[in-house]
Amino acid sequence: MNSLPENTWELNEVARNTDILSEISSEFDIEANPGTTSNLQFYDDFDSHLWKANYLLCQVNKQQFQLIDPSGCMGEVGASSGARFWWEFSGNQVKDKLQSLVGLRAVLPIASINLLETDFSLRNDDQKIVVRGRLTQTMVGNKIGLYLTLQALRGYTKYYTRAAQLLRPFIKAEINHFGLRFLLMGQNIQALEPKQSTLLSLTEDMRTEQAVRAMATAMFDQTKLYVGGVIADTDTEFLHQFRVNVRKLRSLISLLKQALPTSMLDTLKPRLSSIACKTNKLRDLDVFILAQDSYRAMLPANFESGLNELYRLIEKQRKQEKDKLARYLSSTEYKNDVTACAAELSQSSAFQTPMASKPVLQAVKKLLLKRYHKMLAMGAAINSQSADEKIHELRIEFKKLRYLIEFFVDLLPKKRTGKIVSEIKKIQTVLGDYNDYCIQIEFLNSYIDDTRIEMSKALSGLIAILYQKKTEERPKVEVALTDFFTENMAIEFDLVFGAAEPGDSK
Amino acid sequence: MKVIACYSMKGGVGKTATAVNLAYWAAKSGLKTLLIDLDPQGASSFYFRIKPSSKKWAKRFFNAYENLVKHIKASDFENLDIIPAHLSFRNFDTLLAGFKKRKNRLKRVLKGFNKEYDLVILDCPPSISYLSESIFIASNLVLVPVIPTPLSERTFEQLMAFFEENDYPQNKIVPFFSMVQGQKSLHKATMEAMSARYKMFLNTTIPYSSDIEKMGVHKAPVDVFAKSQQANYAYIKLWKEVSETERKCG
Ligand SMILES: Nc1ncnc2c1ncn2[C@@H]1O[C@H](COP(=O)(O)OP(=O)(O)OP(=O)(O)O)[C@@H](O)[C@H]1O
Ligand SMILES: [Mg+2]
Repeated sequence: MNSLPENTWELNEVARNTDILSEISSEFDIEANPGTTSNLQFYDDFDSHLWKANYLLCQVNKQQFQLIDPSGCMGEVGASSGARFWWEFSGNQVKDKLQSLVGLRAVLPIASINLLETDFSLRNDDQKIVVRGRLTQTMVGNKIGLYLTLQALRGYTKYYTRAAQLLRPFIKAEINHFGLRFLLMGQNIQALEPKQSTLLSLTEDMRTEQAVRAMATAMFDQTKLYVGGVIADTDTEFLHQFRVNVRKLRSLISLLKQALPTSMLDTLKPRLSSIACKTNKLRDLDVFILAQDSYRAMLPANFESGLNELYRLIEKQRKQEKDKLARYLSSTEYKNDVTACAAELSQSSAFQTPMASKPVLQAVKKLLLKRYHKMLAMGAAINSQSADEKIHELRIEFKKLRYLIEFFVDLLPKKRTGKIVSEIKKIQTVLGDYNDYCIQIEFLNSYIDDTRIEMSKALSGLIAILYQKKTEERPKVEVALTDFFTENMAIEFDLVFGAAEPGDSK
Repeated sequence: MKVIACYSMKGGVGKTATAVNLAYWAAKSGLKTLLIDLDPQGASSFYFRIKPSSKKWAKRFFNAYENLVKHIKASDFENLDIIPAHLSFRNFDTLLAGFKKRKNRLKRVLKGFNKEYDLVILDCPPSISYLSESIFIASNLVLVPVIPTPLSERTFEQLMAFFEENDYPQNKIVPFFSMVQGQKSLHKATMEAMSARYKMFLNTTIPYSSDIEKMGVHKAPVDVFAKSQQANYAYIKLWKEVSETERKCG
């Protein structure tokens, strides 16, 4: 069955409900329902995950939320006021959806709309309803919008056409996709503005120091975005993203240090290292708390009191650590470090080293090959007896290799680089899992305390299980290494990142 | 999609009243419902204030569902659409006689609505004919209003016999008592006898009620103008029982 016409128009500001209705009443009998008012508060996370996925989360009253999907369908969710995380909402389906959309992010109010909606129907001479309609009045701040929706009924479209004709004098503009999303779009909501600081696009023959400075500046600016959320402790992702960006920045600088003046390295390296260091403890605690459910599932019920004690201790430490970090991020020490780094980054290029003035693509490709060969040697040295430390070092190398590719991915051949990256990701997963076990064991070990017997029992239990898992994981490391360092991969690196292409070897 | 026919060979037993009110409650319960007014008199269209279509189109009725789609009209109620009747529907029988495989015709055409509707309700004219046979084949349930009098009992027997002779599954037949006047001993006695003999009678009965008669004045289902009257509750109950029966029959 073909679909029926339905349309919404924005009406002139001067139009009043009564004028509009009296205009139509010249040819139809109007039956208007009493209008309903609603105040809708919309929520989204820092990254606007919901908005970007075409979802809306809106609070309809104190304890009631609606998740509206891209097709306009609504799912009701209950939540106590102040709910911020997906697990604080009730109603399983909607909750799962929310989890998949925002993950660990907190949702916060981003905008609100006041609505007055008046539904009406038009009847013909037979007293049959032939058109349905709705007047929507919106109030945002002191701005009022007036919209009219008409909906044709099957078998009665000619009346719809006529009603639309009668109303033409009031119409300002036709609206294509009317709805809450449309109304929100008209509001220029600050929270939905893109957060990514815009990177200038690189070109392959940009000089290396210039390119690195530009990228470093963008990354550095990006870190600042998350500071507020860390201080307010909105959700754990702020700290995570902050750390990711600092780590990337440090990698960039260290990977391309040969292209940078010593003054810059001397300013940035120690300061960034000190900033990163201050965040380590809190992140460890966050990770442990987030994994709470899986840890609890590992042990039988009689360990519960020990685990409770452990988690109480960890929560307490987290609070202290969070306050400490918040103080640090508000301190003059931190501000001075940031100012010093920013000042250094904004200097114009010095071109003190030979690599500084080379075309960036050439420099990056050379670095990639060099790193690959170094890693090949490191990988070959690893066997079943190798210390965890050696695996850890190689893991870091893979991380850097991946960063180096991703930083400059726009300049590299898309398809073949993509394939290499996906291979790198595979081995990173294996190395990452193995490392996680090592780290967790170490973390838990540090809490063993002879004066807290129950807690230490639980810790020992967890450690034993994790140690078991770690041992099972270990052989996978060698397999992953053999899978990665193939002859094919060596050829591929040479072909994709080698200087053989004409034009590259200038 | 399920098809329910409101059918009786006898006229004036409450087929249309049933079709209208059941369609209303089905739609209200969330089923996308299509009421097809097969009676040339167009009574059920009238109750929904829908004018019979002006074109003569009985000829095309059994050709393809696309022809029917063009005649669908929205009712004033959500989820409820109607195909109104036309006087030319009087010729259904002669029309059907001209078709090969005529008895499957209606079923075939209705299949087209599978995607759009959950339920089709047929308001049937009183007769036994090619059309009624197509209706028996097309329907999952044949809902039969029976006024509890000896005459109606005879008619019902005839219907059962007709199903038997023609090998139509008798379990499609779902009778219920209509226009029941509780104070009449004749009604009481007939009801007792018939429900003892035919186990498939529904428990719900529709009372004789001036509110149902008034549907003609209000041109609307009972719920619209007599919400809290006994007759309205009877139809709510009837819809519940019919939908349960329909579910049991698969
Ligand atoms: N339960 C009832 N109580 C009182 N009057 C009723 C009841 N049911 C139907 N009527 C009235 O009886 C008349 C016939 O009812 P209805 O049109 O529903 O029967 P029908 O079987 O469809 O008739 P037809 O065979 O003519 O199509 C109508 O005027 C209707 O208002
Ligand atoms: Mg009738």
